[in-house]
Amino acid sequence: MAAVVTVQNLRKRYRRRDPWAVDGVTFDLQPGQAFGLLGPNGAGKTSVVKMIAGLVRPDSGSITLFGTEPGNPVARKDLGFSPEDPDFPKFLRASEVLDYFASLLGLDGAERKRRIPETLAFAGLDTEHRQIRQYSKGMKQRLGIAQAILGRPKLLVLDEPTADLDPIGRRDVRALIERLKESGVAILLNSHLLSEVERVCDTVAILARGRVLKEGTMAEVVPEGSNLEDVFVQLVEANQPQRDHLPSFISDATP
Amino acid sequence: MNGSGAVARYTLVELSRRRILLVFFIVGAVGIIALGIGLKVLYQVASSNPRGFGNGAVDPATFDHFLELLFVSYLFQALAVFALLIAYAIGMTAIYHDLDSGAAVSIFSKPVSRLAFATGKVGAAVVGLIAIVGLLALEARLVMFLFGGGLENALTGQLIAVMANAIVVMLIVLSLSTWINNILAAVVTFIYFNVITGIITTLHLVADAGVIGNTAVRNVFDVLYWLVPHQLVSSAVRDLAQAEIQMSGGVQSNQALASVPAPSGPGDIAWWVFTVFVFAALVYYAVRRRQV
Repeated sequence: MAAVVTVQNLRKRYRRRDPWAVDGVTFDLQPGQAFGLLGPNGAGKTSVVKMIAGLVRPDSGSITLFGTEPGNPVARKDLGFSPEDPDFPKFLRASEVLDYFASLLGLDGAERKRRIPETLAFAGLDTEHRQIRQYSKGMKQRLGIAQAILGRPKLLVLDEPTADLDPIGRRDVRALIERLKESGVAILLNSHLLSEVERVCDTVAILARGRVLKEGTMAEVVPEGSNLEDVFVQLVEANQPQRDHLPSFISDATP
Repeated sequence: MNGSGAVARYTLVELSRRRILLVFFIVGAVGIIALGIGLKVLYQVASSNPRGFGNGAVDPATFDHFLELLFVSYLFQALAVFALLIAYAIGMTAIYHDLDSGAAVSIFSKPVSRLAFATGKVGAAVVGLIAIVGLLALEARLVMFLFGGGLENALTGQLIAVMANAIVVMLIVLSLSTWINNILAAVVTFIYFNVITGIITTLHLVADAGVIGNTAVRNVFDVLYWLVPHQLVSSAVRDLAQAEIQMSGGVQSNQALASVPAPSGPGDIAWWVFTVFVFAALVYYAVRRRQV
């Protein structure tokens, strides 16, 4: 089966003097596979997914998205991308944002009429008539996920999809991922919530300072009797300078 | 082009909901009505004076015509100022806010090319500008009925020139705001279009009038003149000046008219078209290069 996305030896840095944000990342993703990209803050996870979505250009390496490069709009037709900290044109309403994006996806009028109310209902925004500028972060996150699934994608990239969601929203997203996986959609999940990744992902890659520290199926990465969080902490701490966990003015303070 | 229509449509929806544009429009609309009614009231008060105007030296019809010229003259200035304000407001917001807020991340991940996005944005910005300034001009045309006829065509010509100049300003701000902060983009555009270009155009005009004798210096200004956008000028400005000079006795009219810019010729219009293409291409280039 042809890979949905193939990433090979990807490298990216934002300024010449900066360290590599992404340094030699390689992986591929098959239909129906859920791939978790893990790493501490600044590990390069968002840079990787932005390059896959054609938003950021790699300095070297290659990405193949549905057989072509992500800069080609055709490649993004089957891509659903929910960005970290999503935002939208602030004077539009949720239904207008979805109609706008449905037009960009090339959905016809009848399909738009069917999908938009259902997607809004899924996101819990069907009764919301305010403009986006009045939305909370959680509401924007819901809309971010809604617009990502609107085109019925074959690859769904979720960058911290549940960071601002309430527990019910998180449960809905988990159910969504599982349902999409069953129907053959490939999922690329960036998340700090390791329990969530452990639940829904088949394979994971742990990144730190732009490099893949460990990659494999969940069983390969997490030994029996351990859990993903322990593996993650051990790996990441072994690959970054030691630091005191508390500032001295806190740890030295006498009660 | 796939998606440019949707980008244009929803950019126009956004522009129609932006308060700053509404404020500029309302201030402009109220200003034009106030100007027209104010001058008309002035005429009524003056004509009720049995001694007439200027100790009887000017008849009421001439004074009425003078007021009309005055109104049209102020109107041209008001339209130019509001068109520029609206051009700056649209230029500063149409693309910048999508990039700054992160909305562009969701938009660019959809199957829309950067060319379609830039085309939709520029199209919406131009349509928005024409609609708002057009409405102000329509109102101005209605207010002109207070003064009788005669200068309506002048308004049309001047309106086209004002819009053409505003479009260039808007495109410069649009392209710069894709690279840099939108306030900085507006400041740089103001310095480039209103200060540097203004100085070069004025010096070129002075050189053309023969005030600068040195051929080398004249040639330098000739070259500089063709390196900056040309502000288009309609024949209305000169017609208006001529009418005002004639009314005041027509003394040394040729000398006085020399300082009034001549109407733009085909060369200037062709240069404007070229400039618009260059700046629109710059908007596309900036959008294409932009990583979000």
